[in-house]
Amino acid sequence: MVEFNAKKVAKVHQHLHSHLPSDSALRVKALETLLVEKGLVNPASIDAWIEAYTEDIGPKRGAHIVAKAWCDPEFKQRLVEDGPSAIDELGYVGSATGHLKVIENTASVHNLVVCTLCSCYPFSILGIAPAWYKAAAYRSRAVRAPRGVLAEFGVQISDDVEVRVWDSTAELRYLVLPQRPSDTEALDEEELASLVTRNSMIGTDRDLLKKVEVKA
Amino acid sequence: MDGIHDVGGKQGYGAIDVDEADLYEIGEAFHHDWEAREWGLSRCARTPDITIDWWRHCRELILPVDYLERPYFDSWAQTDFATYIDGGFFTLDEVCSGHSNSGNKQLDEEPPKPLSKLEAVMADRQKVCRFDSDINEQPLFAIGDAVITNKYGHSGHTRLPEYARNCVGKIHALNGAHVFPDFSAQGKEVHQHLYSVVFETGDLWPDSENKHDKVYLDLWQNYLSKK
Repeated sequence: MVEFNAKKVAKVHQHLHSHLPSDSALRVKALETLLVEKGLVNPASIDAWIEAYTEDIGPKRGAHIVAKAWCDPEFKQRLVEDGPSAIDELGYVGSATGHLKVIENTASVHNLVVCTLCSCYPFSILGIAPAWYKAAAYRSRAVRAPRGVLAEFGVQISDDVEVRVWDSTAELRYLVLPQRPSDTEALDEEELASLVTRNSMIGTDRDLLKKVEVKA
Repeated sequence: MDGIHDVGGKQGYGAIDVDEADLYEIGEAFHHDWEAREWGLSRCARTPDITIDWWRHCRELILPVDYLERPYFDSWAQTDFATYIDGGFFTLDEVCSGHSNSGNKQLDEEPPKPLSKLEAVMADRQKVCRFDSDINEQPLFAIGDAVITNKYGHSGHTRLPEYARNCVGKIHALNGAHVFPDFSAQGKEVHQHLYSVVFETGDLWPDSENKHDKVYLDLWQNYLSKK
Protein backbone atom coordinates (compact mmCIF):
# COMPACT_ATOMS: atom_id res chain seq x y z
CA MET A 1 0.00 0.00 0.00
CA VAL A 2 1.16 3.50 -0.81
CA GLU A 3 1.57 5.42 2.45
CA PHE A 4 1.61 8.94 0.95
CA ASN A 5 4.25 9.72 3.58
CA ALA A 6 6.21 12.73 2.33
CA LYS A 7 8.58 12.84 5.33
CA LYS A 8 9.55 9.21 4.74
CA VAL A 9 10.11 9.81 1.03
CA ALA A 10 12.24 12.90 1.74
CA LYS A 11 14.46 10.70 3.95
CA VAL A 12 14.59 8.01 1.26
CA HIS A 13 15.84 10.60 -1.25
CA GLN A 14 18.62 11.59 1.18
CA HIS A 15 19.71 7.95 1.39
CA LEU A 16 19.50 7.52 -2.37
CA HIS A 17 21.60 10.65 -2.84
CA SER A 18 24.40 9.06 -0.81
CA HIS A 19 24.07 5.39 -1.76
CA LEU A 20 22.91 5.02 -5.36
CA PRO A 21 25.59 4.65 -8.03
CA SER A 22 26.26 7.91 -9.83
CA ASP A 23 25.90 6.45 -13.33
CA SER A 24 22.31 6.82 -14.59
CA ALA A 25 22.55 3.62 -16.62
CA LEU A 26 23.43 1.63 -13.46
CA ARG A 27 20.53 3.20 -11.54
CA VAL A 28 18.00 2.28 -14.22
CA LYS A 29 19.55 -1.20 -14.54
CA ALA A 30 19.05 -1.68 -10.78
CA LEU A 31 15.41 -0.60 -11.07
CA GLU A 32 14.81 -2.97 -13.97
CA THR A 33 16.56 -5.87 -12.20
CA LEU A 34 14.47 -5.40 -9.07
CA LEU A 35 11.17 -5.12 -10.95
CA VAL A 36 11.95 -8.22 -13.00
CA GLU A 37 13.24 -10.24 -10.01
CA LYS A 38 10.10 -9.41 -8.08
CA GLY A 39 7.95 -10.50 -10.98
CA LEU A 40 6.38 -7.08 -11.49
CA VAL A 41 7.65 -6.48 -15.03
CA ASN A 42 8.28 -8.68 -18.04
CA PRO A 43 11.50 -7.54 -19.80
CA ALA A 44 10.01 -8.23 -23.24
CA SER A 45 7.30 -5.68 -22.50
CA ILE A 46 9.93 -3.00 -21.81
CA ASP A 47 11.33 -3.62 -25.31
CA ALA A 48 7.82 -3.45 -26.75
CA TRP A 49 7.09 -0.07 -25.15
CA ILE A 50 10.43 1.33 -26.37
CA GLU A 51 9.69 0.14 -29.90
CA ALA A 52 6.16 1.57 -29.73
CA TYR A 53 7.49 5.01 -28.78
CA THR A 54 10.39 4.84 -31.25
CA GLU A 55 8.51 3.60 -34.31
CA ASP A 56 4.79 4.31 -33.93
CA ILE A 57 3.95 6.87 -31.27
CA GLY A 58 5.64 10.20 -31.88
CA PRO A 59 5.39 13.64 -33.46
CA LYS A 60 4.42 12.20 -36.84
CA ARG A 61 1.01 11.60 -35.28
CA GLY A 62 0.80 15.25 -34.30
CA ALA A 63 1.86 16.29 -37.81
CA HIS A 64 -0.89 14.08 -39.27
CA ILE A 65 -3.47 15.75 -37.01
CA VAL A 66 -2.28 19.22 -38.07
CA ALA A 67 -2.26 18.40 -41.79
CA LYS A 68 -5.72 16.86 -41.56
CA ALA A 69 -7.01 19.97 -39.78
CA TRP A 70 -5.58 22.14 -42.58
CA CYS A 71 -7.29 20.02 -45.26
CA ASP A 72 -10.60 19.21 -43.57
CA PRO A 73 -12.46 22.17 -41.97
CA GLU A 74 -15.01 19.90 -40.30
CA PHE A 75 -12.25 17.83 -38.66
CA LYS A 76 -10.59 21.05 -37.55
CA GLN A 77 -13.82 22.22 -35.93
CA ARG A 78 -14.20 18.92 -34.09
CA LEU A 79 -10.54 19.09 -33.06
CA VAL A 80 -10.87 22.54 -31.54
CA GLU A 81 -14.19 21.72 -29.86
CA ASP A 82 -13.26 18.28 -28.47
CA GLY A 83 -9.61 17.35 -28.99
CA PRO A 84 -9.66 13.83 -27.50
CA SER A 85 -12.66 12.69 -29.58
CA ALA A 86 -11.22 14.14 -32.78
CA ILE A 87 -7.81 12.49 -32.40
CA ASP A 88 -9.52 9.25 -31.39
CA GLU A 89 -10.90 9.14 -34.97
CA LEU A 90 -7.26 8.58 -36.02
CA GLY A 91 -6.54 6.13 -33.18
CA TYR A 92 -4.18 8.62 -31.54
CA VAL A 93 -5.82 9.25 -28.18
CA GLY A 94 -3.85 7.67 -25.30
CA SER A 95 -1.26 8.62 -22.68
CA ALA A 96 -1.78 12.20 -21.47
CA THR A 97 -4.25 13.24 -24.17
CA GLY A 98 -7.55 12.58 -22.35
CA HIS A 99 -7.98 16.34 -21.90
CA LEU A 100 -6.29 17.63 -25.05
CA LYS A 101 -6.84 21.26 -26.06
CA VAL A 102 -5.88 22.47 -29.50
CA ILE A 103 -4.82 26.12 -29.69
CA GLU A 104 -4.59 27.79 -33.06
CA ASN A 105 -1.94 30.17 -34.29
CA THR A 106 -3.15 33.03 -36.49
CA ALA A 107 -1.51 36.00 -38.20
CA SER A 108 -1.96 37.96 -34.96
CA VAL A 109 -1.53 35.23 -32.30
CA HIS A 110 1.36 32.90 -31.46
CA ASN A 111 0.96 30.13 -28.87
CA LEU A 112 3.74 28.57 -26.80
CA VAL A 113 3.37 25.56 -24.47
CA VAL A 114 5.38 24.87 -21.31
CA CYS A 115 5.09 23.02 -18.01
CA THR A 116 6.90 25.08 -15.37
CA LEU A 117 6.19 22.65 -12.48
CA CYS A 118 7.29 19.38 -14.10
CA SER A 119 7.32 18.53 -17.82
CA CYS A 120 3.75 17.59 -18.78
CA TYR A 121 3.53 16.69 -22.46
CA PRO A 122 0.90 15.06 -24.74
CA PHE A 123 2.77 11.75 -25.12
CA SER A 124 0.36 9.87 -27.38
CA ILE A 125 0.56 12.49 -30.16
CA LEU A 126 4.06 14.00 -29.74
CA GLY A 127 5.98 11.08 -28.21
CA ILE A 128 8.97 11.73 -25.95
CA ALA A 129 9.49 15.40 -25.14
CA PRO A 130 12.74 16.98 -26.34
CA ALA A 131 15.39 17.46 -23.63
CA TRP A 132 15.13 21.26 -23.78
CA TYR A 133 11.39 21.10 -22.98
CA LYS A 134 12.25 19.32 -19.71
CA ALA A 135 15.20 21.56 -18.82
CA ALA A 136 15.05 24.43 -16.31
CA ALA A 137 16.36 26.93 -18.89
CA TYR A 138 13.21 26.61 -21.03
CA ARG A 139 10.73 26.02 -18.20
CA SER A 140 11.90 29.04 -16.23
CA ARG A 141 11.96 31.57 -19.05
CA ALA A 142 9.04 30.54 -21.28
CA VAL A 143 6.52 32.26 -18.98
CA ARG A 144 8.60 35.36 -18.29
CA ALA A 145 10.47 36.08 -21.52
CA PRO A 146 8.74 34.06 -24.26
CA ARG A 147 9.91 36.36 -27.04
CA GLY A 148 13.50 35.92 -25.92
CA VAL A 149 13.01 32.16 -25.82
CA LEU A 150 11.52 32.18 -29.32
CA ALA A 151 14.43 34.29 -30.60
CA GLU A 152 16.77 31.63 -29.24
CA PHE A 153 14.96 29.13 -31.45
CA GLY A 154 15.39 31.53 -34.38
CA VAL A 155 11.77 32.68 -34.31
CA GLN A 156 11.20 36.45 -34.45
CA ILE A 157 7.77 37.63 -33.34
CA SER A 158 6.78 41.16 -34.39
CA ASP A 159 5.36 43.52 -31.77
CA ASP A 160 1.85 43.42 -33.22
CA VAL A 161 1.59 39.64 -32.75
CA GLU A 162 0.25 38.58 -29.34
CA VAL A 163 2.17 35.77 -27.62
CA ARG A 164 0.07 33.41 -25.49
CA VAL A 165 1.96 31.08 -23.17
CA TRP A 166 0.13 28.02 -21.85
CA ASP A 167 1.54 26.63 -18.58
CA SER A 168 0.30 23.03 -18.25
CA THR A 169 -0.51 23.16 -14.53
CA ALA A 170 -3.41 20.64 -14.62
CA GLU A 171 -4.20 17.52 -16.67
CA LEU A 172 -5.13 19.58 -19.74
CA ARG A 173 -2.51 19.15 -22.47
CA TYR A 174 -1.97 21.55 -25.34
CA LEU A 175 -1.25 21.07 -29.03
CA VAL A 176 -0.42 24.17 -31.06
CA LEU A 177 -2.07 24.20 -34.48
CA PRO A 178 0.44 26.09 -36.62
CA GLN A 179 -0.63 28.21 -39.60
CA ARG A 180 -0.72 26.46 -42.95
CA PRO A 181 2.05 27.86 -45.15
CA SER A 182 0.78 29.84 -48.13
CA ASP A 183 1.15 28.48 -51.67
CA THR A 184 0.66 24.90 -50.51
CA GLU A 185 -2.74 24.33 -52.18
CA ALA A 186 -1.24 21.72 -54.50
CA LEU A 187 0.06 19.55 -51.66
CA ASP A 188 -1.87 16.59 -50.30
CA GLU A 189 -2.32 15.71 -46.63
CA GLU A 190 0.78 13.53 -46.47
CA GLU A 191 2.99 16.15 -48.13
CA LEU A 192 1.60 18.81 -45.80
CA ALA A 193 2.30 16.61 -42.76
CA SER A 194 5.96 16.42 -43.81
CA LEU A 195 6.18 20.22 -43.42
CA VAL A 196 5.02 20.20 -39.79
CA THR A 197 7.88 20.32 -37.30
CA ARG A 198 7.64 18.95 -33.79
CA ASN A 199 8.64 22.35 -32.45
CA SER A 200 5.80 24.08 -34.31
CA MET A 201 3.33 21.94 -32.34
CA ILE A 202 4.93 23.09 -29.04
CA GLY A 203 5.23 26.65 -30.30
CA THR A 204 9.00 27.06 -30.59
CA ASP A 205 8.70 27.18 -34.39
CA ARG A 206 6.24 29.34 -36.36
CA ASP A 207 6.93 29.95 -40.04
CA LEU A 208 6.72 26.59 -41.80
CA LEU A 209 7.11 28.30 -45.17
CA LYS A 210 10.84 28.43 -44.55
CA LYS A 211 10.87 24.68 -44.76
CA VAL A 212 8.89 24.69 -48.03
CA GLU A 213 11.50 26.98 -49.53
CA VAL A 214 14.33 24.78 -48.36
CA LYS A 215 12.66 21.72 -49.85
CA ALA A 216 12.00 23.53 -53.15
CA MET B 1 5.75 22.88 -1.63
CA ASP B 2 8.04 25.79 -2.35
CA GLY B 3 10.54 23.44 -3.93
CA ILE B 4 13.27 23.48 -6.53
CA HIS B 5 10.84 22.14 -9.16
CA ASP B 6 8.86 25.41 -9.25
CA VAL B 7 11.14 27.16 -11.76
CA GLY B 8 8.70 29.42 -13.64
CA GLY B 9 10.17 32.92 -13.89
CA LYS B 10 13.42 32.04 -12.11
CA GLN B 11 16.54 33.48 -13.66
CA GLY B 12 20.06 32.26 -14.24
CA TYR B 13 19.49 28.87 -15.88
CA GLY B 14 21.41 29.86 -19.00
CA ALA B 15 20.88 29.17 -22.69
CA ILE B 16 18.39 26.65 -24.06
CA ASP B 17 19.90 23.71 -25.90
CA VAL B 18 18.06 24.40 -29.17
CA ASP B 19 20.35 22.22 -31.28
CA GLU B 20 18.17 19.26 -30.43
CA ALA B 21 15.39 20.94 -32.40
CA ASP B 22 15.41 18.61 -35.38
CA LEU B 23 16.30 15.36 -33.63
CA TYR B 24 12.89 13.85 -34.22
CA GLU B 25 13.29 14.11 -37.97
CA ILE B 26 15.91 11.39 -37.87
CA GLY B 27 13.59 9.20 -35.84
CA GLU B 28 15.28 9.46 -32.48
CA ALA B 29 13.17 9.56 -29.37
CA PHE B 30 15.88 8.82 -26.80
CA HIS B 31 19.45 10.00 -26.36
CA HIS B 32 20.64 6.98 -24.36
CA ASP B 33 19.58 3.36 -23.99
CA TRP B 34 19.01 3.82 -20.26
CA GLU B 35 16.51 6.63 -20.99
CA ALA B 36 14.57 4.25 -23.21
CA ARG B 37 14.68 1.53 -20.52
CA GLU B 38 13.34 3.95 -17.89
CA TRP B 39 10.55 5.04 -20.24
CA GLY B 40 9.66 1.41 -20.93
CA LEU B 41 9.70 0.57 -17.21
CA SER B 42 7.44 3.52 -16.44
CA ARG B 43 4.91 2.24 -19.00
CA CYS B 44 5.03 -1.33 -17.66
CA ALA B 45 4.58 -0.81 -13.95
CA ARG B 46 3.89 1.63 -11.18
CA THR B 47 2.81 0.91 -7.61
CA PRO B 48 -0.82 -0.19 -7.92
CA ASP B 49 -2.66 2.45 -5.87
CA ILE B 50 -0.39 5.38 -6.76
CA THR B 51 -1.81 8.69 -7.96
CA ILE B 52 -0.11 10.87 -10.56
CA ASP B 53 0.05 13.68 -8.01
CA TRP B 54 1.76 11.55 -5.35
CA TRP B 55 4.30 10.46 -7.98
CA ARG B 56 4.89 14.12 -8.93
CA HIS B 57 5.28 15.04 -5.26
CA CYS B 58 7.83 12.26 -4.78
CA ARG B 59 9.79 13.77 -7.68
CA GLU B 60 9.57 17.24 -6.11
CA LEU B 61 11.03 15.80 -2.88
CA ILE B 62 14.31 14.85 -4.59
CA LEU B 63 17.21 16.82 -3.08
CA PRO B 64 17.61 20.14 -4.96
CA VAL B 65 21.18 19.30 -5.97
CA ASP B 66 20.02 16.03 -7.54
CA TYR B 67 16.95 17.64 -9.12
CA LEU B 68 19.09 20.22 -10.90
CA GLU B 69 22.15 18.19 -11.79
CA ARG B 70 20.91 14.74 -12.70
CA PRO B 71 19.31 13.97 -16.09
CA TYR B 72 15.53 14.04 -16.48
CA PHE B 73 14.82 10.32 -16.84
CA ASP B 74 17.31 9.62 -14.04
CA SER B 75 14.96 11.60 -11.79
CA TRP B 76 12.12 9.34 -12.94
CA ALA B 77 14.11 6.29 -11.83
CA GLN B 78 14.85 7.89 -8.46
CA THR B 79 11.16 8.79 -8.07
CA ASP B 80 10.19 5.22 -8.92
CA PHE B 81 12.61 3.88 -6.30
CA ALA B 82 11.09 6.21 -3.70
CA THR B 83 7.49 5.24 -4.55
CA TYR B 84 8.30 1.51 -4.56
CA ILE B 85 9.93 1.88 -1.14
CA ASP B 86 6.98 3.95 0.13
CA GLY B 87 4.61 1.29 -1.21
CA GLY B 88 6.49 -1.54 0.53
CA PHE B 89 7.66 -3.20 -2.67
CA PHE B 90 11.41 -2.54 -2.24
CA THR B 91 13.62 -2.04 0.79
CA LEU B 92 16.33 0.58 0.81
CA ASP B 93 18.94 -2.21 0.98
CA GLU B 94 17.54 -3.83 -2.14
CA VAL B 95 17.61 -0.53 -4.04
CA CYS B 96 21.22 0.13 -3.02
CA SER B 97 22.37 -3.42 -3.90
CA GLY B 98 20.26 -3.57 -7.06
CA HIS B 99 18.93 -7.04 -6.22
CA SER B 100 15.88 -8.50 -4.53
CA ASN B 101 16.45 -9.95 -1.04
CA SER B 102 12.99 -11.40 -0.71
CA GLY B 103 12.69 -13.20 -4.02
CA ASN B 104 9.55 -12.94 -6.02
CA LYS B 105 6.97 -10.99 -4.03
CA GLN B 106 4.23 -12.11 -6.37
CA LEU B 107 5.40 -15.72 -6.52
CA ASP B 108 1.88 -17.09 -6.24
CA GLU B 109 0.67 -15.00 -9.13
CA GLU B 110 1.34 -15.45 -12.82
CA PRO B 111 4.21 -13.18 -13.94
CA PRO B 112 2.99 -10.47 -16.31
CA LYS B 113 2.61 -11.61 -19.90
CA PRO B 114 5.04 -10.16 -22.44
CA LEU B 115 3.59 -7.49 -24.73
CA SER B 116 4.34 -7.20 -28.43
CA LYS B 117 4.94 -3.76 -29.95
CA LEU B 118 1.44 -3.74 -31.41
CA GLU B 119 -0.01 -4.62 -28.01
CA ALA B 120 1.98 -1.79 -26.45
CA VAL B 121 0.59 0.65 -29.05
CA MET B 122 -2.92 -0.59 -28.24
CA ALA B 123 -2.21 -0.43 -24.50
CA ASP B 124 -1.16 3.20 -24.85
CA ARG B 125 -4.61 3.90 -26.26
CA GLN B 126 -6.12 2.27 -23.17
CA LYS B 127 -4.00 4.50 -20.94
CA VAL B 128 -6.15 7.51 -21.78
CA CYS B 129 -7.29 8.97 -18.46
CA ARG B 130 -10.09 11.35 -17.59
CA PHE B 131 -9.65 13.36 -14.42
CA ASP B 132 -13.02 15.14 -14.53
CA SER B 133 -16.31 14.19 -12.95
CA ASP B 134 -19.76 15.69 -12.42
CA ILE B 135 -20.23 17.34 -9.03
CA ASN B 136 -23.29 18.94 -7.46
CA GLU B 137 -21.57 22.17 -6.55
CA GLN B 138 -21.94 24.99 -9.09
CA PRO B 139 -18.78 26.79 -10.23
CA LEU B 140 -18.06 29.92 -8.21
CA PHE B 141 -16.72 31.86 -11.19
CA ALA B 142 -17.88 32.59 -14.74
CA ILE B 143 -15.96 33.46 -17.89
CA GLY B 144 -14.65 37.02 -17.68
CA ASP B 145 -14.66 37.20 -13.87
CA ALA B 146 -11.63 38.85 -12.28
CA VAL B 147 -9.93 36.58 -9.74
CA ILE B 148 -6.90 36.80 -7.48
CA THR B 149 -4.71 33.79 -6.77
CA ASN B 150 -3.68 32.63 -3.30
CA LYS B 151 -0.76 34.44 -1.73
CA TYR B 152 0.78 31.34 -0.20
CA GLY B 153 1.25 27.69 -1.04
CA HIS B 154 1.78 24.92 1.51
CA SER B 155 4.31 22.21 2.28
CA GLY B 156 2.52 19.50 0.27
CA HIS B 157 1.97 19.04 -3.45
CA THR B 158 0.21 21.93 -5.18
CA ARG B 159 -0.14 23.17 -8.75
CA LEU B 160 -0.29 26.92 -8.26
CA PRO B 161 3.20 28.03 -9.28
CA GLU B 162 4.97 30.60 -7.14
CA TYR B 163 5.22 33.13 -9.98
CA ALA B 164 1.42 33.27 -10.29
CA ARG B 165 0.60 33.72 -6.59
CA ASN B 166 -1.22 36.80 -5.36
CA CYS B 167 -1.82 37.84 -8.96
CA VAL B 168 -4.96 39.14 -10.67
CA GLY B 169 -6.25 37.31 -13.74
CA LYS B 170 -9.47 36.63 -15.59
CA ILE B 171 -11.43 33.42 -16.04
CA HIS B 172 -10.84 32.33 -19.65
CA ALA B 173 -12.63 28.95 -19.58
CA LEU B 174 -14.41 26.47 -17.31
CA ASN B 175 -13.13 22.91 -17.67
CA GLY B 176 -15.51 21.05 -15.38
CA ALA B 177 -14.52 19.55 -12.02
CA HIS B 178 -11.12 17.81 -11.99
CA VAL B 179 -9.29 15.78 -9.35
CA PHE B 180 -7.76 18.30 -6.93
CA PRO B 181 -4.01 17.57 -6.91
CA ASP B 182 -3.28 18.86 -3.40
CA PHE B 183 -5.56 16.12 -1.99
CA SER B 184 -4.79 13.51 -4.64
CA ALA B 185 -1.13 13.62 -3.56
CA GLN B 186 -2.40 12.48 -0.13
CA GLY B 187 -4.47 9.68 -1.62
CA LYS B 188 -7.81 11.51 -1.39
CA GLU B 189 -9.87 11.90 -4.55
CA VAL B 190 -11.90 15.12 -4.50
CA HIS B 191 -13.16 16.85 -7.64
CA GLN B 192 -13.18 20.59 -7.81
CA HIS B 193 -13.93 23.14 -10.55
CA LEU B 194 -10.92 23.77 -12.76
CA TYR B 195 -10.58 27.05 -14.65
CA SER B 196 -8.24 28.29 -17.35
CA VAL B 197 -7.15 31.69 -16.07
CA VAL B 198 -5.50 34.31 -18.26
CA PHE B 199 -2.96 36.78 -16.88
CA GLU B 200 -1.60 39.90 -18.56
CA THR B 201 2.17 39.56 -18.49
CA GLY B 202 2.40 43.04 -16.97
CA ASP B 203 0.46 41.72 -13.97
CA LEU B 204 2.96 38.88 -13.49
CA TRP B 205 6.32 40.47 -14.21
CA PRO B 206 7.95 43.83 -13.63
CA ASP B 207 9.96 43.35 -16.83
CA SER B 208 7.28 42.11 -19.24
CA GLU B 209 8.51 42.04 -22.85
CA ASN B 210 5.24 43.15 -24.43
CA LYS B 211 2.11 44.32 -22.62
CA HIS B 212 -0.17 42.52 -25.08
CA ASP B 213 1.26 39.07 -24.24
CA LYS B 214 -0.60 36.69 -21.96
CA VAL B 215 0.04 33.65 -19.78
CA TYR B 216 -2.66 31.00 -19.28
CA LEU B 217 -2.75 28.64 -16.30
CA ASP B 218 -5.20 25.88 -15.40
CA LEU B 219 -6.14 26.51 -11.78
CA TRP B 220 -8.51 24.90 -9.30
CA GLN B 221 -11.16 26.87 -7.45
CA ASN B 222 -9.31 26.50 -4.13
CA TYR B 223 -6.45 28.57 -5.57
CA LEU B 224 -8.72 31.51 -6.47
CA SER B 225 -10.77 34.26 -4.82
CA LYS B 226 -13.06 36.85 -6.34
CA LYS B 227 -11.24 40.11 -7.04
